[in-house]
Amino acid sequence: MTRRAPAGATEALRAALSAEYAAVYAYGPIGVHLTGANRSAARAAEAAHRNRRDALVLQLSADGEVPADRAGYALPFPVSDGPSALRLAVGIEERTAGFWRAALAHTEGADRNRALAALTDCALRATRWRRAAGVTPLTVPFPGRPA
Amino acid sequence: MVLTCPVATTERDETIGHSRRNVLRAGTLLVLGGATAPLAGCDLFDRGDDPPPAPDPLEPLVAGALDLAGRHRAAIAADPGLADRLTPIAEAHEAHAAELRRVIGRTPPTASPAASASAPAGSEPLAALRRAEQQGRQVAAQACAAAPAERAALLGSITAARATHVEVLA
Repeated sequence: MTRRAPAGATEALRAALSAEYAAVYAYGPIGVHLTGANRSAARAAEAAHRNRRDALVLQLSADGEVPADRAGYALPFPVSDGPSALRLAVGIEERTAGFWRAALAHTEGADRNRALAALTDCALRATRWRRAAGVTPLTVPFPGRPA
Repeated sequence: MVLTCPVATTERDETIGHSRRNVLRAGTLLVLGGATAPLAGCDLFDRGDDPPPAPDPLEPLVAGALDLAGRHRAAIAADPGLADRLTPIAEAHEAHAAELRRVIGRTPPTASPAASASAPAGSEPLAALRRAEQQGRQVAAQACAAAPAERAALLGSITAARATHVEVLA
């Protein structure tokens, strides 16, 4: 009773996991359409999302049921070339940032610090993808906040 | 009580100084007591309103955000060529300050326009800004970790934004 575990922590982390699943999926078509340094960055981003995903699966499996990954995810627009791949990369990082930001209010302690690190990483990658795509401004005032 | 003891002894020469010190000590206590009483209660100078509220823990962050905004504005003034790069960052800090104030629910008395902020020192203005952003990121992250649930998301966004500023200034 006295334990102040914030309400909805598990739900928030499950939602973050579903976002990480989608991000890992999206970086498949993204990476295919990029070359050189951008492709390397896409691979690194995909690996980072896999790491978050694996950590969440591990953590949530201790509490109960872990949401399953899906076979596929509907992309918001067709990815057919470099510019569309970069646009999707920006969008994926912004979207995932939103889930981690939402988790902040439902977590505390180490969980909140992890959520903050994830939010920050997503925001940083979104900024780098904007730079790669030639989008300005490179930053947004409130990363992860719903538009 | 303490005062009566030395006076009652026979060794007067030895104890007078002693008792004086005690008198002085007691007087000091009385003065202190007199000074604190009006603060606790109401006197002529008290308007009878509620006591001033304790400062909100977010108020230093408002000042910090305005300071960062001022640093970027000053750097732009010193080198207008940086305007495209730094203006969105200055605006972000101003938006952070406004949002923090809204969350606090009142305008902090220390809030002042950012014009007083000094220009980044040295020949490396961007490096100085980067250091300031890095420091600001740590302050915001600590505030996020300590914040109640309803403030955590805002402070998380501010932390992440400052991290992206460091990235842009690199």
